[in-house]
Amino acid sequence: METTVKTFIIPNELCRRAGVAASWLSINELGVFGHQKIVSQVDKPSAFAPSDASVFQLRQDIILFKPILRKLVNEANGTFLNVQNLTATASEHKPELLKMSRQYRSIVRACLENLQDEVMRANGDYREELQNYITIFYSVECIWHLCEILFVDAVPGNIVLPHLLDWVRFHFPKYERNAATMLSGDLGGLESHPDYWETVIGSLLQGRIKVARALLKLHSDAETQPFKVVDQCLRAMPVYNMFSGTSVAEFNMQWNHWVVDVQSKIDAKLFISCYNLNLIMKLAVGDEIAWGEIQQYCEAWYELLAAWLFFTQPTVKSFELGQLAKQCITKMSIGNRIKHLDRVLLAAMEFDVLQVIKEVQHMTENGWFVCHLTDLLYHAGRLSDLNVESENFQPEKLRESFLIDYGTLLMGHKSLWQVGLSYLDHCPQDGLEVTKLLLPRLPLDSELRTQKIVREAINRNLPETAQSICKVQGMVCKNRGRLGHALAWALKSQDSAFVSYLADKFLRQYSESGNLTNADLLDNLGSCILASDRLIFLGKYFEFHKLYRAKEYKEAASLLISLLESKIIPNYFWGILLTETVPLLECEEMVFSSTDTFTIMQCLEEREHLKELKDKIALSRLAATRNLARALVHEAQLN
Amino acid sequence: MTHNIHGTFVSEKINKIRWRPDFMNDSHYFITGSWDNDQNSIKLWDFQENEEDAEVYPFLVTEFCHKGDVTEIKFLNGDFFVTSSSLGSVYLMKISSEHGIEPLIENKISWEGIHKFPNEEISPCTAFATNDNDIVSVGEDGTINLLNSQNQSIFRKFNNADSCSINCVTFLKHSEILTGNLRGQLKIFDIRASKNEPTTIFMLSGDQVAPLCLQHHPTQRHLIMAGDEEGSITIWDLRQNAYPVNLLDAHEGSISEIHFHPDHPNQLFTCSGAGDVWHWSPKSGGMATAGLTAENVWLASETIKNKLDVFTLMPKLHKPINSVDVNRNKVICGCDNEAMYLINGINIFK
Repeated sequence: METTVKTFIIPNELCRRAGVAASWLSINELGVFGHQKIVSQVDKPSAFAPSDASVFQLRQDIILFKPILRKLVNEANGTFLNVQNLTATASEHKPELLKMSRQYRSIVRACLENLQDEVMRANGDYREELQNYITIFYSVECIWHLCEILFVDAVPGNIVLPHLLDWVRFHFPKYERNAATMLSGDLGGLESHPDYWETVIGSLLQGRIKVARALLKLHSDAETQPFKVVDQCLRAMPVYNMFSGTSVAEFNMQWNHWVVDVQSKIDAKLFISCYNLNLIMKLAVGDEIAWGEIQQYCEAWYELLAAWLFFTQPTVKSFELGQLAKQCITKMSIGNRIKHLDRVLLAAMEFDVLQVIKEVQHMTENGWFVCHLTDLLYHAGRLSDLNVESENFQPEKLRESFLIDYGTLLMGHKSLWQVGLSYLDHCPQDGLEVTKLLLPRLPLDSELRTQKIVREAINRNLPETAQSICKVQGMVCKNRGRLGHALAWALKSQDSAFVSYLADKFLRQYSESGNLTNADLLDNLGSCILASDRLIFLGKYFEFHKLYRAKEYKEAASLLISLLESKIIPNYFWGILLTETVPLLECEEMVFSSTDTFTIMQCLEEREHLKELKDKIALSRLAATRNLARALVHEAQLN
Repeated sequence: MTHNIHGTFVSEKINKIRWRPDFMNDSHYFITGSWDNDQNSIKLWDFQENEEDAEVYPFLVTEFCHKGDVTEIKFLNGDFFVTSSSLGSVYLMKISSEHGIEPLIENKISWEGIHKFPNEEISPCTAFATNDNDIVSVGEDGTINLLNSQNQSIFRKFNNADSCSINCVTFLKHSEILTGNLRGQLKIFDIRASKNEPTTIFMLSGDQVAPLCLQHHPTQRHLIMAGDEEGSITIWDLRQNAYPVNLLDAHEGSISEIHFHPDHPNQLFTCSGAGDVWHWSPKSGGMATAGLTAENVWLASETIKNKLDVFTLMPKLHKPINSVDVNRNKVICGCDNEAMYLINGINIFK
C-alpha cells in the first residue's frame, strides 16, 4: 500500500517561528495555531511576544459535499436503507439484492448524467473539477457493474459471457452509436464511410452479429460471393443461450463443427479477395495473427477479453476469468502501464474480493463507493466465504468499519448529519457508541434543529444523550438571559441539579428585586415540579403569592405554614419567608391557629441570628404574640 | 388509488414547500425554502405536466438567497409571499412576472432582526401567521411582532409574551391570535388590548408536549387543530371551552404540518417526522348521512375514528417530512432527505 504524506504550509510568521499545534474543532475541522511547549514552571513573557495570534481552520475538501453530488449521497442512502430492511426481513433475498445493486448503478448513472449536463455549461477550473468527478464516477460505475455480474447476480450455469458482453457494450458504446447512424442513413455504398470496417469489426467484437451482418449487407459488393458466404457463416454461428435447452457439451460440439467449417472456407481462400472479410473470418476461428491485428480496435484489455472469449470460449465459467484476463493483458502488452481501474477489474475477475475492496478504498470519492459496495457484497454473502489467512478477519467488522467511517464523515456536515446517522444505525457493534459521541457534538443553531437532534437520540433509545443535549440548550438559554426558557429545557433534561440551580436563580432574583418573573411558566409546572426540591419550593412559593394576591389569606396562610414545616427552604430565603408572615399575622381576619403561630415562633427563635432578620425580629415577635393571644382566645371560645 | 409520485433530489433539505395560488387555473408553480444549509435559499419551481410525456421534472425557474433557515413561507396572494428566517427576520417577497420574461423573486420589505434575546443575540423567528395584510410573527425569544405587508414599521411588539419559545401561531379572528409554546401551553392574545398578557391560557395536554403546528379550519375559524411532537392531533372548538373535543393518536413521529384542503375542508393532509404523508378523508358512507346533519366531521366526538379514512400517500420515507401543501388534486411535500415529492391524482371527491 502506498502511503503519501501531504504537507500544508500555514502562512503565518508566528507559526513558522514557534511551531504549530492543532486541535479538533468539529468532526471534519482542525484548528491550527502557533504553539510552543513550555517546560519551565516560572511565568514569564514569551520570547515571541508581542505578536498577533491567529487560528487557522483546516478542513478536508470532501467532494461528496458538492451540491451536485449530494443528490447521490441522499438517493443512495434510501437504497442503502432498503437493502438493510430487505436483509433484515426476507430470508431469501438474492434476486431482490440484484435489484438493489441495479438501483445503486442507476443512481450513479443519474449522477453521471447530471455531471455531463453541468460540464457543458461550466468553464474554467470548475469544468476541470467536473471532468474529474466524471472520471471517478465512470470508474465507479464500471467496477460496480462487473462486481454485480460476478458477485451479486446468480448466473445460471455460471456462464458469464453474455453478461460480460453487456458490460462491455454498455461502457464502450462507440461502435453501437456509429452503427446506428450508418444504418439509419443513406443505404448502399457504406464502405465509403471512413469508419465502416472499424464499425463492422467493433460490432462483431462486442458480439453484435446481427448488426455486423446488416452493415455488411449495405456494402456495395454485398451481392458478391465472398460477402454471401460470410453472411451465411455468421448466420450459422452458434450462440450459447442458457435457456435454449442445449447442454454445454452439445453446444461445444456445434461450435467446433462451425469453427472447422469456417476454417476450411478460409483455407479454400474463399475470402481472399477482400482483406477485411478474410480478417473477420480469421477472428472467428481464433487466428492469433488476426487477433493481434485488431487489438487497435479495443480501448481496454477487458474489451479485448470479452471479444476474444466470444469467439474462442463462449462457455467460459466465471472462475476461469482471472487467468484469461491476465493473458489478455499480456497480449496487449500493457502490463507496465496498468492503471488503477485495470487493477480493480483484474482483482474482481480473479475473485479476490478483498483486493477489490482494498483498491476501491483508494478511490477519491470519500468512501461512498467502498461503503456501499462492501455492504452489498456482505449481504450477498461474498465476504463470509473468503479464504483469508489472517485469523481474526471478520466480515461484519470490515463492513462496519467502512460504514462508521462514512457515517462519521457525513455527521460532520451541517446538513447531511441525519443521513450519516442512518449509516451508524446499521453498525451493530460500535454504531450506537459512535452515535452517542457524535450527537452531542452537533452544533445547536436553532431550537428546530435541537428538537430534531433530541428526537433522533430518543429514537435510538439514548435518553442520557438526549438529556445532555437538552441541558446544553438550557445553558444557552440561561446565558441569553432567559431563565424561564432555560428552566423549560432543564426540565426536559431531567437533571435535578440543573433545575435546582435555575430555581435558585429565580428565588435570588426575587429576593433582590421583589418580582417573580415567568409567571406563565411557574403556573403550569404540573408534575414536572417534582424534578427537584428547590423547584417544589419555588412552585409552592409562587402559589402562595398567587393566593395572597387573590386575597385568599386563609389558604395562603396554611400553605405558608406547610412551607415553614417542610425542610426544603433555602437558607437565604428564611428571612423573606418569615417577613411574609407579618402581614398575615396582622391580618384583620385571623388566619393562623395557635399551633400555626407556635410553628412560626419556633422558626423565628431558631433563625434569630439571621442578618436580614435583625431589624425585623422584634416586629415579627410582636406580631406573632398578638396573633397567638387572638388565636388562644378564639380557640378557647370554641371549646 | 391511481395517483403517481414524482421525487426530485434538490441537494438541500426542504423545510417549507408551498403552491403558488392561482385562482383561475391549476397551479403549477411552487416555492421551496431550505434549512440547515450553509447558504439557504428560496426557489421557485415550475412543474408543468404533460399528458403524453410522463418523464417531466420540476423546472427551477429562479432562486433567491435567504439569510438563515427558512422557518415558514406563506402566500398573501398570487404574487406576494412572506418568509421568516432563523436569523430573526421576516421578509415580504414578490414574484414579479412580466409577460415574456422569466419570473423573478424580489425582496419588497425586510423586517431585519425583529426577534432578539435579552442579551441582544439574534433569536430565530419560528413561525408567523397571516390574515389579509396582517402578519404576526413569533420567535424563540417569546416575543410576538405585529406587522403589516403595506408598512415597514412594526405595529406592535409583545415583549416577553412567553417565558419559553413560541413554536407556532395562528389567527383566530382579525383581532385575536393563538400561540403554542415549548411547554405545550396555548395562549390567546387580543392584539388590540393594551396589556401584553394573554386573555386565555390552556394546555395542549397534561404532559407538557410541545405543539409544532396550529391550523384553523378554512371556513370555521373556531375549529383549531394542533399537531404535536408526539404525533397526536388535538382538536378544539373554541366556542365551547378550552378542553379539546377530539384527540387523535396519529403519526409515530412528530407532526410537522397540518393542512386542510382549501376547497374541501373535510379533507385533511398531515406529514410527520417519521416520514409519512397522510390524507384524512371522511368515509363516503358516513358523509352521506353525517354530512347533512353534523355540520363538521372534525367536531364529531367519540365516533370520529369510525368516520374517517386515512390514506398513506407515499411509502414511508427514512427521513422526516417537514412540509406538505395541497392544491386541487396535487400534493407536494419537502423532506430532510434533500428531496421533494409531487403526488398527483389525489382522490378528493371519491
